[in-house]
Amino acid sequence: MTADSTSTLTEILVGGISRGAMYALVALGYTMVYGVLGMINFAHGEIFMIGMFACVYAIGAFSVAWGDHIMLNLTLGIMVAMIFSAAYGYANERIAYRRLRKAHVLAPLTSAIGISTFLQYFIFLTVSKDTVNFPRYYSDYLTNHHINLGSAEVTYLQLTILGLTLVIMTGLFYLINFTRLGIALRATAQDQLMASLVGIPVNRIIAFTFILGSALAAIAGVMFSMYNNVLVFDAGYRVGLKAFTAAILGGIGNIPGAVLGAMILGLTEALTTLNFGSQWDDPATFAVLMLVLMLRPRGLLGERVADKV
Amino acid sequence: MILTGVALVGCQKASDQAAAPAPTTIKIGLAGAQTGSDGQIGLSMLNGSQIAIDEWNAKGGVLGKKIETVVLDDEASAQKAVTVAQSLIDSGVVAVIGHFNSSCSIAASQHYNDAKIIEISPGSTNPTYTDQGFPYTFRVCGRDDQQGATIATFLHDQLKLNKIAILDDKTTYGEGLANVVKKSFEEKGGTVVMFQGIGKDDRDFRANIAVVKGSGAEAFVWGGMYGQGGPLCVQLRQAGLNIPFVSDDGCQDQAFIDTVGGNAENVYVSFGKDFSTLPAAQPFIKKYKDTYQRDVGSYSAYGYDAANVLLTAIDKAQSTDADKVAAVLKSQPFDTILGKIEFDSKGDLKEAGYVIWTVKDGKLQVLPSTP
Repeated sequence: MTADSTSTLTEILVGGISRGAMYALVALGYTMVYGVLGMINFAHGEIFMIGMFACVYAIGAFSVAWGDHIMLNLTLGIMVAMIFSAAYGYANERIAYRRLRKAHVLAPLTSAIGISTFLQYFIFLTVSKDTVNFPRYYSDYLTNHHINLGSAEVTYLQLTILGLTLVIMTGLFYLINFTRLGIALRATAQDQLMASLVGIPVNRIIAFTFILGSALAAIAGVMFSMYNNVLVFDAGYRVGLKAFTAAILGGIGNIPGAVLGAMILGLTEALTTLNFGSQWDDPATFAVLMLVLMLRPRGLLGERVADKV
Repeated sequence: MILTGVALVGCQKASDQAAAPAPTTIKIGLAGAQTGSDGQIGLSMLNGSQIAIDEWNAKGGVLGKKIETVVLDDEASAQKAVTVAQSLIDSGVVAVIGHFNSSCSIAASQHYNDAKIIEISPGSTNPTYTDQGFPYTFRVCGRDDQQGATIATFLHDQLKLNKIAILDDKTTYGEGLANVVKKSFEEKGGTVVMFQGIGKDDRDFRANIAVVKGSGAEAFVWGGMYGQGGPLCVQLRQAGLNIPFVSDDGCQDQAFIDTVGGNAENVYVSFGKDFSTLPAAQPFIKKYKDTYQRDVGSYSAYGYDAANVLLTAIDKAQSTDADKVAAVLKSQPFDTILGKIEFDSKGDLKEAGYVIWTVKDGKLQVLPSTP
């Protein structure tokens, strides 16, 4: 292999992992809700999109209020995004899903698809019908600095995205498996009635799951819009679909599985672009999904801890 | 000249008919993307047409009747465009100005033709649109085979490049244009080292850029719209690749500059000639700004011209019958703010006049060295 093609391959892998990491942050929300409730929250992609808009508009407001302090405004912007997304996520659960918890499995699923469409059009009609640029002044530092990996470059932003994903995954894994809250989560996942009988506040635990998942989606949204330079009202649909696929691929309900599935998806897309062209990204991705499901119907890591958080 | 003449006739007619018991209107459909990622450029086109129609109405309308517009949004989706076409036909329009996206104009054209309704697109450049051989299909912009050849010539003959990479958005328009650029460039002896498509809602181009980096391409051609072209160009530069970035009329919009930045270097866009300096266009440019509180979009003048040409033809034919109007359109030249235009038998412009533009001082401007 020549030096040139090695560096291309490295760059492809870096790009694929970065994309996978963003899918992973969204996929974690899907998988957590499924783990606890056994339901697919299709509106999760829109929560991710709302996070992007909240952050960019908050940054705009802050820079008007007290000037362009990059670190301060960006940190506050991300926090506003998390609060907004968490509020929307909580409201979704409270309004659209809670009453349907004991209904047929198709009822909350349909409700989720409805909420997804509603939120997309809501943002479209009230916030922006067009693409909005992420303020480059705030992303330039992260996108223009890089470390060298062989002859390929890894930007600070890509490192940040990957780092955040790993930290959050580890944190969630710890939370679920080694804390009292985690025990409550797992108990709720196993049997809501029994959990409530032993004094676990099931409603609050479920609401917490939505709030946490939505706040993570907001972080993913901010990273995603920084990375892609623009944000648009329908961005959540596609990423949501990919993240959902990733969660299924890794074994839905399984935290490390969601990250593994997302990485495989990101890398599959990048390697497909390298070898066959990006027009084959989607066919290749879903071919991989079907192949994995044929061999392991519960996903890659699904079997061992299926139907748990 | 024609405008004034027509206006006088129009006034007379209007006053003659003022006493008529049932005042009727002539309905014209304005169709195009108003929302979504192509919304900005599509809306500026529709606004242009609206100004022309308002001017005609201020002078009394056409054939002695006021013109009523039916404005519908096709959301840049071919499927939606068919629904829009059906609603326009049902509402009784005599002609349609639109659509903007090639895929939409093509999908809708069959329906307009079946209903015997004239369709004039101000912005659909895909060759298929007029190549279908429909008698009532027209456009006041160029064709992508002309546009693609202009891009290929610019890259090969002016920039003296031999290896280019091409990416398109897999739409009728983007992919169609990319194919023409590839063919024209290869005919000139150049090599296309990457030729790929990407989904219309993808905005992460890192993998494509890595492939381009490794391929030794000397220029990057984007066949698609500004919603993706903007971030693509930015990501290309962030990856340290400063090769020429060449795109098409889909990136001829201020929104593209807003994304890439006013000082972007080595960025080129193919488009028709610059109307902002033409004396004939000045009243329109001013009126547009006064009406909509923003600068004209790239396709505003085309929307304005399409409406004026259509109404002039209706007036000359003294009828809204599609056969008569089409005959007038194909038989004589029309004065527009972009200069004199003439249609050929297919409904295309006889002269398209594509030139290369570049980013300078926060604006797209014609590259001085292009003819």
